[in-house]
Amino acid sequence: MLKYTLRRWGAMMLTMFIIMSLSFWIIRLMPQSIFENPEVAPEIQRLLEAEMHLDKPMWVQYYYFLRGIITERDFGRSVKLRPGMEVFKVIVSRIKPSMVLNFFSLILAIPAGIILGTIAALQRNKWPDNLISFLVVIFISVPSFVFGAVLQYLFTFKFPIFPTLYNASASSFREMFRSLTLPIIALALGPAATIARYLRGELIETLNSEFLLLARTKGLTRTQAVVRHAFRNSLVPIANTMIPMITGIMGGSLVIERIFAVPGMGGQLVESIVVGDHFLTVALLIWYSAISLITIFIVDISYGLIDPRIRIGGEK
Amino acid sequence: MAERDKRDVILQVKDLNVSFRTYGGIVRAVRGVTFDLRRGETVAIVGESGSGKSVTIKAIMGILPSNATIESGEILYGGMDLTKLTEEEFHNIRGKRIGLIFQDPLSALNPIMKVGNQIMEALILSQKMSKKAARQRALELMEAVGIPDVERRFNQYPFQFSGGMRQRIVIAIALAGDPEILICDEPTTALDVTVQARILELINKIKEERHLSVIFITHDLGVVATMADRVNVMYAGKIVETGTSEEVFFEPAHPYTWALLSSMPDLETKERLFSIPGTPPNMISPPPGDAFSVRNRYALRIDFEKEPPLFKITDTHYAATWLLHPKAPRVEMPEALKTRIERMRRRAVGNE
Repeated sequence: MLKYTLRRWGAMMLTMFIIMSLSFWIIRLMPQSIFENPEVAPEIQRLLEAEMHLDKPMWVQYYYFLRGIITERDFGRSVKLRPGMEVFKVIVSRIKPSMVLNFFSLILAIPAGIILGTIAALQRNKWPDNLISFLVVIFISVPSFVFGAVLQYLFTFKFPIFPTLYNASASSFREMFRSLTLPIIALALGPAATIARYLRGELIETLNSEFLLLARTKGLTRTQAVVRHAFRNSLVPIANTMIPMITGIMGGSLVIERIFAVPGMGGQLVESIVVGDHFLTVALLIWYSAISLITIFIVDISYGLIDPRIRIGGEK
Repeated sequence: MAERDKRDVILQVKDLNVSFRTYGGIVRAVRGVTFDLRRGETVAIVGESGSGKSVTIKAIMGILPSNATIESGEILYGGMDLTKLTEEEFHNIRGKRIGLIFQDPLSALNPIMKVGNQIMEALILSQKMSKKAARQRALELMEAVGIPDVERRFNQYPFQFSGGMRQRIVIAIALAGDPEILICDEPTTALDVTVQARILELINKIKEERHLSVIFITHDLGVVATMADRVNVMYAGKIVETGTSEEVFFEPAHPYTWALLSSMPDLETKERLFSIPGTPPNMISPPPGDAFSVRNRYALRIDFEKEPPLFKITDTHYAATWLLHPKAPRVEMPEALKTRIERMRRRAVGNE
């Protein structure tokens, strides 16, 4: 297991490095000067360029870029959106609402999806299954911002229970969380439906498997057989669907953050590309990739924990 | 023969009818199957795929899929009718009184659970054994079914076992609850020929040691010959011929049994191997009369119109074919089969 983990970790670091390099080269080679402000004197511009090594060849810039990140977590400075501010600090200042939003919608989506999927599988072709399957189709096919708008209408206008927008001046976490409740729900519906759909399919297949039959012929009750033999086996393929889902949540939050005016990461990326704040764009791309890679890493590890065929096969 | 008849009947299937609801219509998979199992004997049910043999044993184990219904009939065991038991009552039967060995040991074991745990599980959960005692018993069982190095094997996963070894684990699981009836559903079909022989040997050995009564499902007549005391030949959800092993092998009466015996490959036959023309009938609308008639070279006109009853040949030997009716024309089994049976008979005598 240790060897398997280390190998996964190594692969992840290599991928991370490639992504970092790619984002650097693609963004920095774009024909757009970082300083296009006519109000800044050319001498000052040149001074600033020298300070940020922008007057040197790309290879040298690449070296400084990597060295900065590895030795002192220095991703450069924002020049347009938050002039002069360290990119790393810009990201940190934006992390909290985004993370709260994404993390809690996942926390909501996973158990909801598992419960709904299990109910649907066990009640196959009866009304609970039909109802769940119907909802699943709606939640998967309708994009999250539509639910965002609907929830806003219902719970802030018709029944004013929650605030319409993110409360940036909230004094406590509780207050902030309250203003994030609606976007969390809007973001969670799609992933919950995806999990429910996959789990239903997997469970139905395992429920029809021979080993479940064997579990019952050896004298286990139906519940014992399902819990001990069907459930864990069905989780193996489900873990795989989590990767696109988590990145999906990150992507979904780009729009949802806009609708609920959450000062998160999502808007920042789009804005930085539009205005050409290259240092910030690169750093944000790296950030998003890191999230995805960490997810993949966690899923890979949990694979090994769930399925001995992967774990032991990997040790050979 | 007479001595065997005196042994008490331990399980009795009476006029069992099972049908499945499908999108295509009602599939009548088992149509009036009747047979009994006596203490200490092995009864074989032979038939091709789709003849209803697996459905019959699933009905006995109470593990029919949810779209199946037992239309009528009884399965009598220990003073109970198994067709009437609730799911809870069945837990005291499955595993503890009747054990089942599956066809495919590859898919019968949970791939992500240690084999030791799979053997212990039932002992702990449904027999309330302590973990230590269950482990001890599981190790004994693994040894009994011929698994070497049990301590190490106990903590391994199914994918680390060969096919034959997996089947031994499945047998160990079936034996864990110390049942008195063992049902084997084509236990060697998925295995290599050399492994087959050893598994059959093992089943015979544990049958003797544990005084089991065995129901043996197979489509392989060669296997039946080495295992069974009595044979039921099934076709299209019905038993078409029943008798002792010797009777069914040496004096087969039903044309379907003739066809089955003729299509068995052996080393001596030089001609092209016989194969039964056509396919089994669609069980959504079984043909009137004898279901085998359309594929039967010897079918009489009445075979297409009226279902033949089981005609008595001896006290133990019955066959459902109009050819046995006193007024039927005398039809002999094909010459090639006669010589075949003669060879088998000589070999059987030679073995004794």
